Formats: sequence, C-alpha cells, structure tokens
Amino acid sequence: MKRILDLFRRSPNVHFGPLEQQLLSTLWTRGSATVREIVDDGEIKLAYTTVMTTLDRLFKKQILNRVAEGRAFRYSPRYSQTELEKAAVGETIRQLLGSNAGAASLPLSYLVEAVSEHDAGLLDDLQRLLDQKRRELRSEIRGDHRSGDRRSKETQ
Amino acid sequence: MFAARCIGVSLAVFVLLYVFLSLLVSQGWKLMRRTLRPSSARGAADLLFTLRVLPLGLSVFVTLAFTLPSFLLLEPRSTGEAIGTASSALGLCCLVLLGAGVARAVFAQLRASRALVGWLKGSALMERHIKESGNAVPIFRIGNDAPTLTVAGLCAPKVLVSEAAIAALTSPELRTALRHEIAHAIHYDNLRKLLFRFSLFPAMAELEHAWSEETEMAADDAAVSSFHDALDLAAALIKMSRLGPVESSGELTMALLHSSTALSARVHRLVAWNQAQKPQSRGRWFYVLPTAAAMIIAAVTTYGSVLSQMHAVTEWLVR
Repeated sequence: MKRILDLFRRSPNVHFGPLEQQLLSTLWTRGSATVREIVDDGEIKLAYTTVMTTLDRLFKKQILNRVAEGRAFRYSPRYSQTELEKAAVGETIRQLLGSNAGAASLPLSYLVEAVSEHDAGLLDDLQRLLDQKRRELRSEIRGDHRSGDRRSKETQ
Repeated sequence: MFAARCIGVSLAVFVLLYVFLSLLVSQGWKLMRRTLRPSSARGAADLLFTLRVLPLGLSVFVTLAFTLPSFLLLEPRSTGEAIGTASSALGLCCLVLLGAGVARAVFAQLRASRALVGWLKGSALMERHIKESGNAVPIFRIGNDAPTLTVAGLCAPKVLVSEAAIAALTSPELRTALRHEIAHAIHYDNLRKLLFRFSLFPAMAELEHAWSEETEMAADDAAVSSFHDALDLAAALIKMSRLGPVESSGELTMALLHSSTALSARVHRLVAWNQAQKPQSRGRWFYVLPTAAAMIIAAVTTYGSVLSQMHAVTEWLVR
C-alpha cells in the first residue's frame, strides 16, 4: 500500500484514461496477458499498436510489470484493483488536507456532508428494516391469537 | 555479576519469545479463527482475546518457570563471566518494550479515570434498574455531556446512562441496552483492553478490532433472550447512533456503539435473530481440565531435562 502511495506522491498526475482503465481491468481479470492475447480475445476492439502503446504507457507509470516472452512482452498488474482504488482515494484526501486551510475547508465540508448524508441514509434503511420486522412480529402474534380463539370456541 | 547475568538472560529470552510469538499470532490469527470456527460470538471473542494475550502470557510463563530456575540451579556462581553483548542488548530491548507498555497502560488508565470522575459528577444511582438486572453492577444516570450509554471502570465497572439515552429509549429498549452493557461489565472487557495496551506490539491492531466487534456481538447475545428483545436492542442501537457520533466515549470504555461499520451488521444480525441460533453454554471444563492436567503431568515429569536444555540455550545467549 505504501509503495502505491509513494508512486502517487512522486507523480501526482497519475490519471488513467478510459482505455487505460479498460486494459487494466482486463489484466486484473486475466492475471497477465500479451498484446496479441488481448487483441485476439476480441473483448477490446482496438488496433494492436494502440493496445501496445497503452500497455507501455501503464508500464512506464509503474502500474504494470512486464517480462519478455519471445519477441513480445507479457504484462501483469503490479497492484490489485482494491489496492489501487484505496491508494487513489487516500491520495485525493491527502491532497485535500495538504492544500492551504481556506481552500481545503470547502471540499472537506462537502466530504463531511456526504458522509453524514450516507450515515443518515443508512440509519433510515435500518429503521425501515426494523419497522418491517416489528410489523411481521405483530401480525404473527395476532394470527396466533386468532387461531387460539378459534380453537377454544371449537372446544366449547 | 551473577544477578545481572541472570536478569539479562531472563529478559533476553523473554523478548525473543515475545516477539516471535507476537509475529506468529499477528500473521496467523485469521487462520486460527477459520480453523477453530467458534460456535458463538462469545467463543470467538474469547479465542481472539486468548490469542492476543498469548505472547505475553507464554513469555512470562517460560521466563519464570524455565529460564530463571535453569539459570539459578545450573549456572555456576563462582565464574566471573561477563553478561555478553547479545543478552545485554536484548535485555535492554525488553526493558524498553516493557517500559513502553507500562507507560501506555498507565496513561490510558489515568485518562479513563479522569474522564470517569468527570462523568460521575452529579450522577445518580438507578437502583430500580440494578434490581431489575439482577446483577451487582452499579448503573448510574449521568448528564448529557458524557457518552450516551457505556461501561467505564476497570476492576469495578459501572454502567453509565445519559439523560438523553433515557429520554430517547423506551423502557424495553433501555432494559436490553443495559443488559448489553452489563455483559461487558461482567466479562471485564475494559480490563482486557488495558491488557492490550500493556502488551505492546505494532501489528495487533486488526486482531484487537476483530475482538472488539466479536465482544459487541457477544454482549448482544447475552442481552437478548427473545425476538422481541432482539428488535428492542436493534432499535436502541439505531436511536443511540442518531443521538451522537460513534466512538466518542473515551478510552478504556465499552460503549453501546463500537463503530458505524459494525452497526449495520449488528442490526441485521439482531433482526434475523432466531431462538435456535442462541448459543448454548457448554461445559468448557469438560475438556479444559483433562488438557490442563495432562500438560501439568508432562511438565512435571520432563522438568529436569527441559531445564538443562533451557540452560544450554541461555549459555549460547551469554557467549
């Protein structure tokens, strides 16, 4: 985790374009692949050279590892999806906190607001679930009472 | 010189064993939990607690039962041998480790006692609730500038309920919430937390967090004896989390709410409560006693040879 955070800190402009994201997600699914394998797979409809250039760019950004395989390279992700996402979120928050106090307070207040809203939403959901269970319990008890009354009338 | 060597060697063995066992536990506790699969939250909490304090307990035991006697009985007192670089460096590490542990525990206890004194100012004993609970754990009604519902105190834990909690909860909700807190008090969970503070090792945070969550679920189980109770406790959890931020209750306390992430899991667990799932207390002594007896017999019969082996190890250390 620390390694990825260092990577983000060293090069703050580590962003992933849509194509890079698509190729990364393919590599996370497959584990490793050569350019030929990705192109032949048919899931990504791109030219061989485009895939090759994009994978090379990701390697230079230190997001992928590569080993020579014949005349080509086999690429594999250096970090898992979770690790990379965690690091990206961590870096965003670090940048928010790292900027001067006045500038940081506004985005941070939005963040706090969003978290509070999420918490309130979660509590509302839990309350709804609880109310539903209470209703079910009440109707069960009522049903038991009714069947009990019916049985006692029948015996009378 | 003999006494200094004896202390140096004992501390060195202690620190080596402590670090080795701590590393083992910090890396292997998840595997142990998966393998043993305790049948109840209480069982899981007890297992995690045992694993957490195992390095300290076992290191102290080996040092006092084997290292120290082996040195005292088998080391000739007349030799003018020096302490040795390895054992003095390790002994120093041990002293630093123990000192840091003591300091952490003492400061945590001081902060907790100071907070408790403040919270108890103007408090009132809730005698009716104590009688209802059928336990000797004191329950105090406190002001609103304190945690809403928590257990504080180490050797004589007290349950603290704020005015806000009393106003927000219905009678059955308050009753189950109090039973939850009383379960923490009965199991001396704050004292266990203090032991964690003393038993210092950096990679144990995740294990301690898992213990906290299991302990909360175990206290939920102890508080609930019917589906009605389960729904009341779930309602109390939701109401308390609306009252104030989670984890503001201070050090060495056990609040009703441990963390916001655990809240959802606990409420879902409570609304799915089933009488059949209620953990049955099993006679633990049934298998603990024979194991302990077998271990004692084995230790007594092999004590002499273990002492001489231990002495060989310590000889290597002082060289």
